[in-house]
Amino acid sequence: MIPLTHFLVVGACLFAIGLYAVLARRNAILVLVGIELMINAAILNLVAFGRYDKTMYGGQVFALFAIVLAAAAVAVALAIILNVYKFYRSVNPEDIKNLKD
Amino acid sequence: MPTTALTYPLLAALSAVLLPFIGFLLSAALGKHVRNGAISISAISLSLLAACYAFAQVWNQAPVHIQWHWFTIGEQAFHVGLLLDNIAVLMLVLVCVIALPVHIYSAAYMKGDPGIHRYWTYLSLFCFAMLGLVVADNLLLMYICWELVGFASYLLIGFWFTRDSAVQANKKAFIVNRIGDIGFLIGIGIVYSHLGTLDTGTLISTPETLPAPWLTVAGLAFFLGAMAKSAQFPLHVWLPDAMEGPTSVSSLIHAATMVAAGVFLLARLFPVFNETVLLVIATTGAVTAFVAAYFALTQYDIKKILAFSTISQLGFMMVGIGIGMYPVALFHLVTHAFFKCLLFLCAGAIIHEMQHVKETHALDIDPQDIRNMGGLRKHMPLTFATMLIASLALAGFPFTGGYLSKDALLVHTFEWAALQSGAAKLIPYVLVIVSMLTSFYILRLLANVFFGSLSNPLAKNKTHIHEAPMTMLIPMLFFAGCSLFPLFSVNPLNDGHVWLMQGLTTTVSTLPPLRLLHLVIPLLTTGVTGIVAVIIWHWYVNGKYPLKTNGLLYRLSQHQGYLDVLYNVAIVRPIVRLSHLLLWVDYHVVDGTVNGLAALGRSLAATAAWIDQRLVDGLVRLVGKIAWGLGHIFRRLQTGGVQRYFATLFLVILVILLYHIVVLL
Repeated sequence: MIPLTHFLVVGACLFAIGLYAVLARRNAILVLVGIELMINAAILNLVAFGRYDKTMYGGQVFALFAIVLAAAAVAVALAIILNVYKFYRSVNPEDIKNLKD
Repeated sequence: MPTTALTYPLLAALSAVLLPFIGFLLSAALGKHVRNGAISISAISLSLLAACYAFAQVWNQAPVHIQWHWFTIGEQAFHVGLLLDNIAVLMLVLVCVIALPVHIYSAAYMKGDPGIHRYWTYLSLFCFAMLGLVVADNLLLMYICWELVGFASYLLIGFWFTRDSAVQANKKAFIVNRIGDIGFLIGIGIVYSHLGTLDTGTLISTPETLPAPWLTVAGLAFFLGAMAKSAQFPLHVWLPDAMEGPTSVSSLIHAATMVAAGVFLLARLFPVFNETVLLVIATTGAVTAFVAAYFALTQYDIKKILAFSTISQLGFMMVGIGIGMYPVALFHLVTHAFFKCLLFLCAGAIIHEMQHVKETHALDIDPQDIRNMGGLRKHMPLTFATMLIASLALAGFPFTGGYLSKDALLVHTFEWAALQSGAAKLIPYVLVIVSMLTSFYILRLLANVFFGSLSNPLAKNKTHIHEAPMTMLIPMLFFAGCSLFPLFSVNPLNDGHVWLMQGLTTTVSTLPPLRLLHLVIPLLTTGVTGIVAVIIWHWYVNGKYPLKTNGLLYRLSQHQGYLDVLYNVAIVRPIVRLSHLLLWVDYHVVDGTVNGLAALGRSLAATAAWIDQRLVDGLVRLVGKIAWGLGHIFRRLQTGGVQRYFATLFLVILVILLYHIVVLL
């Protein structure tokens, strides 16, 4: 039986990697990837803690919902990035500082 | 009883008073156009006519009294009016008779003076004030005129106001007269508080209404007023200095207007004075007569000699009042007015010539110093003749008016002294000595001016000295005629026949006569005058002056008893020092307090300003600065960089988490 701590450590590592990507990458796509990583870290935690709810499978179900939502969010985010790229000719978050036209 | 109907004598007297006033107003209004004095001269001429008419109607008749309502204070009504009795009409005519020739004389004497328009204005005011004084029927009106006389004399003495000595002299005259005026005012106050009226008639008919001590005080107070105005020792100091005015003004002041006012006041209020006051008056008069004659002995200024002579003669008049024979005093006032006026006019004529010679030949001499003159009888025979008559009248020589009045005065004084005891018996002897001194100083003046020879700078130009012009000579000749006996009495040697005395003595209880004196006194004075004349001739004309001129008595006389020095040291200087002290107090204490308060206020304001600028404004600015600084700090967060927002967000959450972990554990 794999102890819970291992899952949590892996989740924390994933979250940290994702956070780094979000804060440090110069490419909006990779920032999005970082976000996905952090979501997956959270989902991993949900699944790991799901062992304590063997009757309702709350953790598994929540993970499924989260995956679906993440997929939808990625679709929307990619569309935004595409439009941003069209407008600014760049996907570097550093260049996108103005909210107005 | 006073009437309110304006009869002809009253109308005449009123116009005699008001005409010079109109002359004064006109002259003042026309200003510099008044050069020949036609207005003033015609005003005083008409005044003289009116006065003569009033005199003819009132003299030796019942007194005329008119009264109008003047003003009311509370319940008390004040009246103003004219009182014409023998004294008033006599003075009225005398003032006009003296003033008119003086006016005419002035027209020549003051000719060409740049300020002559002022001269005529002041002269008219002077005459108006004096005429008003003599006819006033109440003390208040008298006091007003009294002050006006003082003020007009102040203006005239300081007529040449560019000369410092004239300014000092008129200031002195005014201040000394103020001392007397206070006396007069106190007297008025006492009379009013006891009598409830200022009417002179009421006062002199019922003087016993006043309690005896107050009567004495009031009498002394009135006498103090007369002392200053009539230049009695020790308040006589202003009169010699008043010589700074034009000589024609001096003649007017000395004859009829200014100094006569005091004697007139005493004669007018005569019933008010009781035994004590009369004795004081007589004593003061005797002392004044002696001291002034003594001072006159050694003076070199021709006008100063005459000034002291006036003071001395005023002393005689005061004695006349003091012995209870005010008619004699008034008689002497009248004769003195003529011959003293004449003396001054003659002196003016001489000074005029001296000044003329001095200016045309640019000589460095004092035109009034008798040492520079001499032998003038050859150059100015008429002046010599008139001055001789006036001098003999002053010395009391027979056939002059002065003889009649002075000997009457002396005889009456002897008669009075016979009834007195103690030191009062000495007064007539003092007067006899004074008449000797009088003969001496006036003959010394004559000898120095008209005999002997001129001093050096003048002797070279003596052909230029000639007689005064006719406009000056005619008044002099007129007064010379008036100084002789026919004006006063048909009998030149007996004062019993003087009409003037007969008119006035009706109201006075006469003293028991001493027949022998009427023979002895005139013989004595005339004899002494003759002896003095011989001595003078020997000493001054022959140039054998035997006395040292540096003895104590000589210096005392020449420096006028050092009275001016004494007054300067004892009164003037302490007052000046006091005023300096007060000035210092004013500058340093009063101003210092005010300035200190101002400085305090300023420093308080400065502190408040500092607090306002530093603390209040500082607080406001601090709030602004804090907001600005905070904004400056937080502005950096608002970069628009998405990743930075994330980083901040993460850090904040991390901090919160760490805080929870630390606190919860």
